[in-house]
Formats: sequence, C-alpha cells, structure tokens
Amino acid sequence: MSFEQFQNQSRLYVIGALDPEEQEEFERARAKFGKKAEDFITECYSLHEAFALSLRPAKSSAAIKERLMAMVRARKEA
Amino acid sequence: MQAIQAEDPDALAQLYDRYNGILKALILRVVHNEAEADDLLQEIFMEIWNQAKNFSAQKGKPLGWMVTLARRRAIDGLRKKQAYARAEERLQNETEQQPDAWVHNATEEAIVLGDTRLLMRKVISGLPPAQQQAIDLAFFQGMSQREIAAKTNTPLGTVKTRLELGLKKIYDGLKELRDEL
Repeated sequence: MSFEQFQNQSRLYVIGALDPEEQEEFERARAKFGKKAEDFITECYSLHEAFALSLRPAKSSAAIKERLMAMVRARKEA
Repeated sequence: MQAIQAEDPDALAQLYDRYNGILKALILRVVHNEAEADDLLQEIFMEIWNQAKNFSAQKGKPLGWMVTLARRRAIDGLRKKQAYARAEERLQNETEQQPDAWVHNATEEAIVLGDTRLLMRKVISGLPPAQQQAIDLAFFQGMSQREIAAKTNTPLGTVKTRLELGLKKIYDGLKELRDEL
C-alpha cells in the first residue's frame, strides 16, 4: 500500500468505515509507515469535529446541566 | 480542559455552556430522539469529567476528543436499543425537515457561525448527494461500507469510491482553512 492509499484508508478508518479485511491491511501499513502514519491519523480525527460543526446546534434542557453539575459536585464531595 | 483535569466543576459548567449545543446536535443526528439525546448528553459530559485525565492536547483539540467520545456513545446507544429500523425511518422523514448542511436548502439565519462551521457547510453541501449520503450513513449511523452498500443497493466498490472522494474533499477543505488561519 502506498502512503497515498494509506491516507485514503485513514479517512475511512477514523469514521469506522473500514471492513475487517481492510482493517488488517490498514494496520500492517500503519506499522510500516510508523510516526508519519500516526500523525496523519491524528489529523484525520479533525473530520469528527468538522462533521459535528456542520450541524445546526441543538438546544438542550436546563435541567440536564443542573443534574450533571449536581452529580459532579456530589462525586467530588464523596 | 486543564481545569477539568484538576477536577474543577465550574470548568465543566463552562465547557457544557460552550459545547452542549454542538454535542446535542450530533447525538440527535444519531439517535433521532430528543429525550434519549438529552440522557446521552448528560452521560457524555459525565464521561468527559471522568475521562478528562486521558485527554492529551498533543493528540488534538478538546472539541475533537469530545465529539469522538459522543459519537461512539451515541452509536452504541442506538445499537443497544436496536432502534436501527425506527431511526432510519425517522431519518428519512427528518431529512426533509431538518435544515442543516446535509440538506440542500440549508438556511443559516439566527446562528452565528465560525469559519470552520461555514466552510464545512459549504464543502458538505457541495458534495454530490450520493457522497453525502454515504458519509452520513458511515459517520452518523456507524455503518460499514458493506452495510451502506446493502442499504442503498449500491455496489461495494462504488460505496468505497464515494466515501473516499467525499472524505478527501472535506479533509482538503479543512486543511485549506487551517493553512489560512
């Protein structure tokens, strides 16, 4: 697998779209390319953020925050 | 994030205020149910609190980490409840009602959008519908290429090409934006 092919596969990998047999080949290439591969995969995770930002923000109820903060404070005090 | 790692509840409250809308939108996109999305949102922020020590700034930005965590949790939730069929049906209906970047008639009034948000909407809405659909099913529904091929009655190779081309365009758009900033 060339590095360009690895880059294409990496973008599929970070969204979990590789099939099992592709995953094995991907892992072999990942080991072969070493740090360069890891750096590229890390960069690809920015796609997650981008997809989330492409959505219109949704409103959540104020009660969620209150419950969350009560749980966090209770856990901290415990 | 450093303050959250130091277990400061006020920092979590600030993080919540800043990002709950983005994360809720993502969760809602996956589970298509308001009450489930609220429950998951609370669980996810609790997980952020509990897992904050595992966050490393060297591996990316806090939002990216939180989105990855939220997406995984939401897809797990969807699978656990075996709600695939119902969600797909709702997805079909909501695609016509929900104005966002994945729909062609997106409107952006009433929301102040950052550079990334604007660019992502532009790039995604500029993709051919088949590429948008493939990415949507993979990212928001957690489907593999084979599952997408079966669902859309499309050859596996075509699905792969659509995903690769679509993701590359989005990735290149992001890279361009990062280079400009």
